[in-house]
Amino acid sequence: MFLTETEIVAMDCTDVVRQLWDYLDGELTDESMDAIRGHLAECRQCYPQFDFERTFLEAVAATRREHPAPNMVRRKVLAKLRKAGLEF
Amino acid sequence: MDGTLTAAESHRVDSRRFEVEALPWLDDVYRFALSMTRDESDADDVVQETFLRAYRSWHTFEPGSECRKWLFTICRNVFLRLRERERRRVDYGGDDAQLEALASGQEIVGSIGEHADILSHVDLAPALERAIGDLPEVFRSAVVLVDVEGMAYNEAASVLGVPVGTIRSRLFRGRRLLQESLVMFARDAGLPTRAACEV
Repeated sequence: MFLTETEIVAMDCTDVVRQLWDYLDGELTDESMDAIRGHLAECRQCYPQFDFERTFLEAVAATRREHPAPNMVRRKVLAKLRKAGLEF
Repeated sequence: MDGTLTAAESHRVDSRRFEVEALPWLDDVYRFALSMTRDESDADDVVQETFLRAYRSWHTFEPGSECRKWLFTICRNVFLRLRERERRRVDYGGDDAQLEALASGQEIVGSIGEHADILSHVDLAPALERAIGDLPEVFRSAVVLVDVEGMAYNEAASVLGVPVGTIRSRLFRGRRLLQESLVMFARDAGLPTRAACEV
């Protein structure tokens, strides 16, 4: 039994959506990365979601702000380590 | 002289290595501790205890391996021991969390519709930071390690002591929850959504 072109496209989209976050996280094999990259370049249906997820992940990553440990914490850590035997 | 270090010399070498390899990560460990505890005083305690334990078990650290990951693992364990356990059971829902989470993403894209670019036009950082802080801890730690700290799934799995598949499902569920929060934020802020445009 052969799949129609529509069915093939639908199946591909499901697979792509299923693996979209793995793709964006670079957690797939090179082969799968290439396959999804190729699909996204052609598929109008999947691209908006890909674009949304990518922008979303960039926004989450951008929340990383430098939260330097307060000097008081640093002093406490160093004092504790000296007491435990660390030599500076 | 046979080249063997005396105990005192060996101790000084270890101290120096700890100072050079572990202490520079203090800010990162503090940030991670703060993301888990959400309380500066608790983060202070967790960080102190983390470095004390790290120093005492420095001999177990493999030279050349990733010190930040090692410290995060200790930090996470300290946090788990110090906190009152969240007894609330978290419902993981269906088996295919991946597809479910992404299907939800499609709904969210659909909900925001043509205004999905609010992500790039509106400063969502404050809303996102709040939403990350409000995530249940199991999801928050996965999101923070992978999405904020940039760890690979296997590194985050190692820090949290869970299988990679667990990281993946926690991460995906956490992201979905964040996206739902963003949709609510957009609605509360009066940002146009497709539903609003159709009214």
